[in-house]
Amino acid sequence: MAGSVIVITSGKGGVGKTTTSANIGTALAHMGNKVVLIDTDIGLRNLDLLLGLENRIVYTIVDVVEERCKLKQALVKDKKNPNLCLLAAAQTRDKSAVDADQLKDICEQLKQDFDYVLVDCPAGIEQGFQNAVAGANEAIVVTTPEMSAIRDADRIIGLLESKEGVEKYRLLVNRVRPKLIKSNDMMGVDDVVEILSCDLIGVIPEDTNIITSTNKGEPVVNDEKSLAGKAYLNVARRIMGEDVPLLDIDEPTTLIDKIKKFFATKKAQG
Amino acid sequence: MYDNEFFVVDMASCSSTGEIINSLSLALETLNHSGKKIVLKLNDSQLNQSQLLSIQSLVTSYGCILDTIETLNEQTAQVAQNMNILVQKPIEKRVEEKYPQDNKEEFQSFSMNNVTDNSIALKDVNGLHFEADLDEIQRQQDSININSDLVKAGINPQGSFAQIEQQVETKYPSVEEINSITDEFTKSSNNLDDVENLEKNSIGVYKKAYDENALSDDAWEEVDFYETPTDDPVVSDSKNTTYINQTLRSGQILESDGNVVIIGDCHPGSEIRALGDITVWGVLSGIAHAGCKGNLNAKVRALKMNAVQLRIGNCYSRRPDGTNIPYIIRSSIFTPEEARVVDGEIMLFKINQN
Repeated sequence: MAGSVIVITSGKGGVGKTTTSANIGTALAHMGNKVVLIDTDIGLRNLDLLLGLENRIVYTIVDVVEERCKLKQALVKDKKNPNLCLLAAAQTRDKSAVDADQLKDICEQLKQDFDYVLVDCPAGIEQGFQNAVAGANEAIVVTTPEMSAIRDADRIIGLLESKEGVEKYRLLVNRVRPKLIKSNDMMGVDDVVEILSCDLIGVIPEDTNIITSTNKGEPVVNDEKSLAGKAYLNVARRIMGEDVPLLDIDEPTTLIDKIKKFFATKKAQG
Repeated sequence: MYDNEFFVVDMASCSSTGEIINSLSLALETLNHSGKKIVLKLNDSQLNQSQLLSIQSLVTSYGCILDTIETLNEQTAQVAQNMNILVQKPIEKRVEEKYPQDNKEEFQSFSMNNVTDNSIALKDVNGLHFEADLDEIQRQQDSININSDLVKAGINPQGSFAQIEQQVETKYPSVEEINSITDEFTKSSNNLDDVENLEKNSIGVYKKAYDENALSDDAWEEVDFYETPTDDPVVSDSKNTTYINQTLRSGQILESDGNVVIIGDCHPGSEIRALGDITVWGVLSGIAHAGCKGNLNAKVRALKMNAVQLRIGNCYSRRPDGTNIPYIIRSSIFTPEEARVVDGEIMLFKINQN
């Protein structure tokens, strides 16, 4: 059976598409699936950096398209997990170096050998986006609980609905801060889902480990202690069709919080 | 952020304790690495307990731990052992003992496993004698022209190199003059070679990358670079030297059918391809491909070698994982190195001070 092609997109930049791609890809590979990640952000590639594979890239997607090498040659194997491969973007070219049909073709070919083909989409709705969604039959729309990101996500969902081939799209709410939601300074996940009226695939809490892991070139799912890592693992399991409840992302209450709570109840009683 | 546990400080060029303390505090001050384990390389100078104690307290005051000392002197080793500091012989000595025939291939893998993996080698703090030679070249720079239609800017930003070409062209018009000067340049770079050839303490940091990378084993056999290396390699016309006084940024490609000299850094994501040698007067962090049409005698030199990939002719090597020099260190200390092909593998040679 051919694998599924999932595009990870958002419209707005900086909401965590690439981080999500790297982590979901690694998590899926962990669970024994054969996964290939395609970076379509030609000219501004980052996915290789997040996976720590920068020094291994010889051929890129542009070389494949321009027939300087075979598709198999351009796939870079992950350091740790042999199930995970990366098809890197070229840094010295731009989005126009590849067109939608060519990318669709690449996805079709990779589908035969891999269980999951994850396409990391660039920001924006131009050529790069059109390329990335061309071969996809599923989409994950990444957004953060901010008005600007939600509006862009709404636009992306509209575009995805009008695309043939994309059968399913689900929402991933990233960089959620439970404390701010509690104090009503941030939109809640429910509000975001309601505004976008879209199925939810996962909620990822804000996590400082992400910054460290990006610099190390080591996806955060490899870190068992990280909350975001756990959340990404859950997302991966949902992609595989499992029914996993949402992760409790409430930050653990500190001692000071407990003392405050204690005094607050005392006051109320008194 | 960078999980390099060890930090190698090379003090082999220092003779007195004062000098060691001076350079060590300089090295520790410029870089931020509290909590790291320090590996101190010393020459055969003899240190007593109080001197070692003062060094140790200096290291501790910067929040580091003095973990290992490399020394040839037995008395120093004895004292260090009494102080519960690990003692090991210098890498060159250890290699000699292990591989008496000086098998370079094994030497490379040996030194890689022991020193360079997961540690930042901070080699010579004290100065740059390489400077002298290149300074001379730099003085001649006023007369060196660039072969203008060879400089090709990357896609972004368009035409930035073209602008430099124009400037340089208007400044230096005579072609004959260029040729004579570039001849001199080649000569002086040959002199450099002589100096380096005396040095045998090569440090091979770069790893042959034909392993574990490809999906199928036979895939790599088919690998060839942008130009297929032929039996008759195209050796560069050494009279052609492209001279660039600019930082090469991500996404920019510099192509030349001669030698390339860059005064400035080459950032990650940039690419240099030249038929001849590549010399970077700065930090080389991108991809450098010297002798890109099969010339295995081509060399890559840089004040600081941090290249993601090095390619010479049809040889190809990549930086070991986890040895990316952090941005903080990049600006302060330089260890000029040269890469050339030895027995079909790219090896790094320190361009030494004496």
